[in-house]
Amino acid sequence: MIEFRDVVLSYGDHVVLDRLSFRINFYERVAILGGSGEGKTTILKLILGLIRPDEGRIIIDGQDITVMSESELRDVRMKFSIVFQEGALFDSLSVRDNVAFCLREYSGLSEEEIEERVRALIRRLGIEDAIDLMPEELSGGMQRRVAIARSLAAGRPKTMLYDEPTTGLDPLTSDNICAMIKELSSGEPPDRMGLIIVTHKVSDAAKVADRFMYLKNGKITFDGDMKSLKETTDPELRAFINELFTIEGRC
Amino acid sequence: MNLKEGIKKVQDFYILSVKAPIGIFQRPVYIRDIIEQMDYAGAGSLFIVLLVSLFIGMALSLQVSAELGALGLRMYTGRIVGISIIREIGPVAIALSFAGRVGSGMASELGSMMLGHQVDILRVYGISPIKKLVTPRVISSIVMLPILTIIGDAVSLFGGYYIVAFVSHQSGSFYWSQIRDIMIFENIFAGIAKPFIFGYLISCISCYMGLSTSGGARGLRRSTTSAVVLSTIMIILSDFVLTRILLYLLGMRV
Repeated sequence: MIEFRDVVLSYGDHVVLDRLSFRINFYERVAILGGSGEGKTTILKLILGLIRPDEGRIIIDGQDITVMSESELRDVRMKFSIVFQEGALFDSLSVRDNVAFCLREYSGLSEEEIEERVRALIRRLGIEDAIDLMPEELSGGMQRRVAIARSLAAGRPKTMLYDEPTTGLDPLTSDNICAMIKELSSGEPPDRMGLIIVTHKVSDAAKVADRFMYLKNGKITFDGDMKSLKETTDPELRAFINELFTIEGRC
Repeated sequence: MNLKEGIKKVQDFYILSVKAPIGIFQRPVYIRDIIEQMDYAGAGSLFIVLLVSLFIGMALSLQVSAELGALGLRMYTGRIVGISIIREIGPVAIALSFAGRVGSGMASELGSMMLGHQVDILRVYGISPIKKLVTPRVISSIVMLPILTIIGDAVSLFGGYYIVAFVSHQSGSFYWSQIRDIMIFENIFAGIAKPFIFGYLISCISCYMGLSTSGGARGLRRSTTSAVVLSTIMIILSDFVLTRILLYLLGMRV
């Protein structure tokens, strides 16, 4: 269980999260929607303990991570994996080395075993042709796929975190990435790998998530399923999700 | 920036400066990264060091030769050039070139990794960014800057020799005999001790600035500029302090 209790976070005078509270089970498929600069990525960083809140508690699996040291946080972070916007690939490493990065760091496997695992992951994500390319030679969609492969190489997380995984991609590539994200988190709870996706692309969120939250002015102003999202009477949220009604067929 | 943020920054810099060199004694040791950084900081900086040193040696020799010539003491050019280069100008000039090339490179590379979330990814995977990114850069700077300084000093002395022998038309062998005379422990130690400190300061400041980058392209520009400016200031300040300390320790009267 991921739980935020009255979390407050400010950057200078700007309050990003204002007494934010919510609970998410590890196996849930959640989309956190909101405009640019609303603090969506900040929520993912808080879950991973990459930044600390000014106030409030963040409880992961019953443990308060806001008081943990960097070394204690390592075990908490192992429950998650994250795909950042634009992939965050190591640009000095090839696709093969990016995917093998974690395995080389602490798996203790031989080079042959690592190569085997890397090839299996790369095959699964359909990027075999890119194995020897450098990140700057990859398209946006390929970079996200490599980033997903690298995340999975680290081990099977309880929950995958996606930071705007389809931003800047053409509709077809976005569809492919969404299909892949959904497939990775398929299965029945509580055994399936959950996901938290933060995005402002409502149509993409609708393809992968079952639960939707809307972040506005540092607070969750909506929390519910697709049916209640479509029936919302909040005019601002209705305007935000307008694309759902205009391009619904594609979803 | 309020007082709390200021104290936090000083604390973060202190932690980085202490943890980075200690990282070499803790497993895992990233040997490949250290070698790669040594190549970048050492072999990559060789050309600029040779160029800067040669012209500094020649310019200094010209100045000293002209001034001593007016006093009828031109034959002592080698002694003054040698001591100036080995004890003072060589270490400082090469450290400044190193800060401009390697320090700015470190700050911009780490800053770019911060903005691209690559540093966050390392932390998510349980890898210490200080051990993985800072320790190799600090170690490579501490090792390579003294080596570059020795090479640079030698090239400066050759530049001085060229001016003395072929422009001032004095005895080249007398020039080298004076250089030999000043090659005593005190002078060599005073010249070699400084680059270790300069290398440590440049790498720690540059890595700290890189890892505290935020705010997109403007933030990257700010951190890179700050890295070079702060390194330059710290080289000049610490040179004065180190000179005072070394003169005292070596029993040389001012």
